[in-house]
Amino acid sequence: MLINARYSFPAELYYDRSAHVWARPDGDAVTIGLDVLGLESLGDIAYLSLHAIGVPVRRGEAMGSVEAAKMVGDLIAPVSGLIATHNEAVLRDPGLINRDPYGEGWIARLIPSDWARESAALVHGIDLGPWVEAEIERYRAQGWID
Amino acid sequence: MIHWRLITDDGVSASFGLAADDCLATRVGAGESQPTLRLYTYRSHCALVGRFQNVDHEVHREYCLAHGISINRRPTGGGAILMGADQLGVALTLPGTGDDSYHRARELMARFSQGIVIALQSLGIPASFRRKNDIEVNGRKIVGLGIYRAHAPVQPASAPSTPPRSGLLFHASLLVGLDIPLMLRVLKTPFEKISDKEIATVADRITTVRREMGCEVELDEVRARVAEGYTAAFGVSLVPGDFTSVEREAISHLQSRKYDTAEWVNQTTAVADMTGSAKVKTPGGLLDVRVTLAGNTLKAVFIGGDFFAAEGAIADLEAGLRWQSAEPRAVAARLAHLYAARASDLATIPLDALTQAVQQAIRRAQVAESVARADPYGCFVNPESAYA
Repeated sequence: MLINARYSFPAELYYDRSAHVWARPDGDAVTIGLDVLGLESLGDIAYLSLHAIGVPVRRGEAMGSVEAAKMVGDLIAPVSGLIATHNEAVLRDPGLINRDPYGEGWIARLIPSDWARESAALVHGIDLGPWVEAEIERYRAQGWID
Repeated sequence: MIHWRLITDDGVSASFGLAADDCLATRVGAGESQPTLRLYTYRSHCALVGRFQNVDHEVHREYCLAHGISINRRPTGGGAILMGADQLGVALTLPGTGDDSYHRARELMARFSQGIVIALQSLGIPASFRRKNDIEVNGRKIVGLGIYRAHAPVQPASAPSTPPRSGLLFHASLLVGLDIPLMLRVLKTPFEKISDKEIATVADRITTVRREMGCEVELDEVRARVAEGYTAAFGVSLVPGDFTSVEREAISHLQSRKYDTAEWVNQTTAVADMTGSAKVKTPGGLLDVRVTLAGNTLKAVFIGGDFFAAEGAIADLEAGLRWQSAEPRAVAARLAHLYAARASDLATIPLDALTQAVQQAIRRAQVAESVARADPYGCFVNPESAYA
């Protein structure tokens, strides 16, 4: 199910409100990616790097870096855990994240340390629709999207 | 009135200069340091590559080692630069507002550049902010710009829903003067040799404060103008100060943990650099185009040959293509857009011939890359790093 006709937000995912990073539980791991509004503000990603596999990360802190439009910033972990897997394809071709953000453009997998508690702070379920609409309105008001 | 601290320091090492800017961005974002404008110079000379560049693709390492030129990596993006006593470093660190999205990068870049633009204009130099990230004078680049958004560490007591705090670092390198032959010996360029012709080619694309003013203006005079420019642009009061002892300790720690380590300086990216070239004959002369791709993005474009074009027009084309998509249709559309703005200046170079040459150079770069991809020990090896 997609929440908005123009900007897709798959309902099965969990979204970080400020970083526009999505998370999806996959067995013992959580797959991480960037949502379409995050990408709308990023533009084409030229470079991406990730902390090494096995490195612990904390929710709200950097798990890597991205460069787009000569602005460099941190890629923020939506939950705490250990980095388990990198998507080597997006490291070689970061544009894949722009082209297929919820599919082939996934970024990394974490082994979460406290998914039950931290996922409660992510947007999911009945909260998703109102949050997406409010975010789209906010982006429009700021002139970041048409 | 809002107060910013003004720090001026000279002859700093590459690792101290970069660690200080990085450290202040994080501390200002966390509310631990006050907003700061730092106007400084590096010890002559050092080569600073962009955040994701590979040193060996950008810098003549052996020449640097032989001549005591240190090499380091900026936290900000963009290309490699040569810094020393004649290049003014500008580092503005401010707290983020929570809405410092990448979409606003150009807007932020233009806003933060205003202090420098005002300073240059006060010296009689008609500088302006153009495109995504250049301050230019008559089509020649005089300042390089970049922005780094640093997230402050999450406080243990924060609620899970508390948004992370961030600091913004605006970085600029203002060319008061520049030794172009030295730059060509330190930084890798499309040129195979360094002669008067290559030096003239570079001089057609970049300029300096001294060249524009036609006199040997002191760097301190330019620095004073930049400080006044920021005061005027932001309506702030600059209070001269220095790093606190706590900040110096944090900077020293970041130097030893990050900027003094080979792991930071020599890290590589999995995005392959690919180069290609093409030559196309036109009624107006030979077109010689060389491109460097970073993945599917045009990282650098050089347009040479024996045609005639208005001053600055070729540099304008090259800069207009940089950091744009390398997709054939996107390249054609971008060139058409750039031509529309300077049609009479480019009348001797047919648009379709240039489009063909750029697209052919891109295709050749991509073919070379796919050959490299077949080599399991080629440039796709991605050493893991703690500094992602």
